[in-house]
Amino acid sequence: MKTLDIGGVSVPAELVKSSWADPWLDIDDYDAESDLMALNMGPQHPSTHGVLRVKLFVDGEICVKCVPYLGYLHRGVEKLCEKLTYVQIPSVVDKNDYVSPMMNELAVCMAFEKLCEIEVPERAQVIRTVVAELQRLASHLLWVGTWGLDMGGAIGGGGTLFLHTFRERELVLDLFEDLTGGRFHYNHHTPGGQRHDLPAGWEASVKQVLTFIEGRLPEYEDMTDNRIFFARTKGVGVIDPVLLMELGVSGPVARASGIDHDLRRDAPYCVYDRVDLRVPVETGGDCYARFLVRMAEMRESIRLVRLLIDSIPPGPVVGAKMVKLPGAVKFKQKEWGSAYSAIESPRGELGTFVIGEPKKASPWRCKIRPPSYHLVSLLPYICPGEMISDIVVILGSLDPILGEVDR
Amino acid sequence: MSFALSLLTGVVLGSLAMFVAAWSIWWERKFAARLQSRPGPTEVGPIGLLQPLADGLKLMQKEIIIPRAADKLLFVISPAVAAAGTLALFAVIPWSETVGVAGDLNIGLLWIFAVGALLVLPQWVAGWASNNKYALLGAMRSAAQSVSYEVPLLLSGMVPILLAGSFQMDEIVAAQQGGRWFAFWPPGPGALAFGLFYLCSLAEANRIPFDIPEAESELIGGVTTEHTGMIGVVLQLAEYLHTLVTAAVCATLFFGGWEGPGAWFGMEGFLAEGLHWMVLKTLVLFALVFWIRWSWMRYRSDQLLKICWHYLIPASLALLAVTAIWVRLVEGA
Amino acid sequence: MSRTLPLWDALVATLRNVGRPMVTEPLPWHAARERKDRYRATFALVHNELGEEACIGCKMCEKICPSQVIDVVAGGRKESPVTGKKRGYCDDFTLDLNACLVCELCVQVCPEDAILMLRERTPVGFSREDLVLSMDRLYANEKPEALAWHSGSVFAEIQDPERGLTPPEEDA
Repeated sequence: MKTLDIGGVSVPAELVKSSWADPWLDIDDYDAESDLMALNMGPQHPSTHGVLRVKLFVDGEICVKCVPYLGYLHRGVEKLCEKLTYVQIPSVVDKNDYVSPMMNELAVCMAFEKLCEIEVPERAQVIRTVVAELQRLASHLLWVGTWGLDMGGAIGGGGTLFLHTFRERELVLDLFEDLTGGRFHYNHHTPGGQRHDLPAGWEASVKQVLTFIEGRLPEYEDMTDNRIFFARTKGVGVIDPVLLMELGVSGPVARASGIDHDLRRDAPYCVYDRVDLRVPVETGGDCYARFLVRMAEMRESIRLVRLLIDSIPPGPVVGAKMVKLPGAVKFKQKEWGSAYSAIESPRGELGTFVIGEPKKASPWRCKIRPPSYHLVSLLPYICPGEMISDIVVILGSLDPILGEVDR
Repeated sequence: MSFALSLLTGVVLGSLAMFVAAWSIWWERKFAARLQSRPGPTEVGPIGLLQPLADGLKLMQKEIIIPRAADKLLFVISPAVAAAGTLALFAVIPWSETVGVAGDLNIGLLWIFAVGALLVLPQWVAGWASNNKYALLGAMRSAAQSVSYEVPLLLSGMVPILLAGSFQMDEIVAAQQGGRWFAFWPPGPGALAFGLFYLCSLAEANRIPFDIPEAESELIGGVTTEHTGMIGVVLQLAEYLHTLVTAAVCATLFFGGWEGPGAWFGMEGFLAEGLHWMVLKTLVLFALVFWIRWSWMRYRSDQLLKICWHYLIPASLALLAVTAIWVRLVEGA
Repeated sequence: MSRTLPLWDALVATLRNVGRPMVTEPLPWHAARERKDRYRATFALVHNELGEEACIGCKMCEKICPSQVIDVVAGGRKESPVTGKKRGYCDDFTLDLNACLVCELCVQVCPEDAILMLRERTPVGFSREDLVLSMDRLYANEKPEALAWHSGSVFAEIQDPERGLTPPEEDA
């Protein structure tokens, strides 16, 4: 396959286009008669994945211009973080990316640890990796199902796929419930480690669940590997890797366009540097490639958890006296400090930039860099020229979580 | 006398059809639930058998909201027209040698094609009258789809007509007596014709994988987006009945109608023929619709039309030619 | 495309599920869902081993609550009728479940294991006031069989198995 070198990143040459659609297209210039139909998709639409509102200018069924509107789920989390202490914040950011709450907690905790120079013990690091991979598995399972809904409808084959994947995702949530007592608000991570230790026999049930889910993955492929699915996904929504890099998109969407980038391997955190991570990369750039990447990532997550689950070292799960008191996180430095730390969430690079005020237990500024925001910003570039049905599929294949976009 | 009898049968069969449609919703829900590892309706009545009644009661209480900008008359009347048209299709289905409203109509199959083709009209009108962009898109898709799929439907429906030499539903069944069901005999054209006819019927009745006019993940509810309460139910029930009648037509045209497999071995009595065989065949073909519906994704509208014009119409034309040659050479008609 | 892409794979895959055990659970009036050991929903205030109200009114929970749903009115230090020593008391304690995140941070910081969570169903009410747990309701929730596993001392042991419970100290 021919590749191009763009800024030090080699990308598949055939995906690189000379121009992209113009997101600021003047509709009156485009069509002086202005007989385009403005179609408002969302915020209440079955397949805008939450409350995304997309304004489409359609010529028949072909989209001419696409304008996403955000902010319907804005909860002021970042501002809230400035008022809360480092210990309280993980319990609030759970709801950012409501499909993978563990990742949100992990992201902010890692930034706070970097800022406050807190040591995380070995056992906590391994548990973090394990729950992160389990969460990735759960998140991708949900994605396969909801994407099926986009293509097959809630009352149809998509609904069946959706319920099948939810059935398996439930098992992962059960594991988390065993571990933390919650199915959604885990509040498991805390700066310096974990708040909960593993319950007895948890490792065994994890292995059982993994075997079960691994056996069910081929069934999803049975349901999707057919000509209808191919017709709907193959060659649909091809994304230029250069555009992806310009917009800062990462994660499975970037990997499906041939960008070999994964923070778990390229900037390892927790104990990812100890495992041999195989990063799935596809060069199709279309919806089908994104499906393949996510299916491969699920298998990779299962493999990683299997590698780690037996070798969780004994010891404490919290590094220092972190969790006892609201103001217990103490700074080593007396000056202002800042830290940025990023993890590979199921959707891409989930980063937290935090500025710490001296002698205060809460951050002066806490900026969360959600991967979904960048995914949504792709829409105006890739939607023009596609049909309404395809826009639904493309939007689903990007897998943006609106709670994370709006925060 | 004969007219009065037909009228009575029509009233009975018509109301029965509504009941069967209501309970086939239960059957579909149970079936789909099992495909998805769920129990399905269990609460109302034994194994949820009274669920359709409860649903009906609930839906009857719902307010019928008519959008201010809608064309009120057309908005309200289109579901009724759709339901009436679909029920009219039942008229020519011969349920057994004796049961049936107008099974002896000499243009029975033509009636089905004609009225079935008309059914796109209430759909389209419902979408247009809603004054909703999604409904309008659904209506346009529905029109394009129905008009296109009408052609291969008719052409593949011609195969049993050629084989039986009649448009009359009774005679088509009679021509299949003795196990010469058109789905199996002549080997090849019959089965292919059934496949084509069945596929096109799925498209005509807006079922997955061809349910793009009301693709709820794209168009919310398609033509039914604005229809609430009972008028929405009637619109959807009409589609449901359309699927049911499609299954019945398939059973009549390709599976020997009321003839049971007992007749192949020279048996007589209830194993050989009767109303129950027809009902059984209809329900099995109907369940096949669910099975497909709950297993497959849906096509895009342009792919749908491409399938029709690129593959189904040439295939059905070729099939018709092959059948004609078969009839001329082998059967010597 | 060299592959055949058969459509019946999907049909077989769905039909395979017909024989599988059903995963959805019956409605609550048939059987209650089995709760996990660490399940947490609503709150209780408990008495200590001497039979006194365990809450000393230190307001740690009020301080740590991220959504500020806890309201404690400290009663000041009095002589305990049981031990005769001076200790703190709590005059009023309100917990508003409407905004509670169920993060169990209040349980975690409690130095006396006074506030605990229950492995019971989340209460439902007909009005917002129904979900505000007053002190009386919190003490009425003290059901030994339904108390969740976590308490302040459990968490203290997880953090620091050697030192155990640390005395409360002021914000740095």
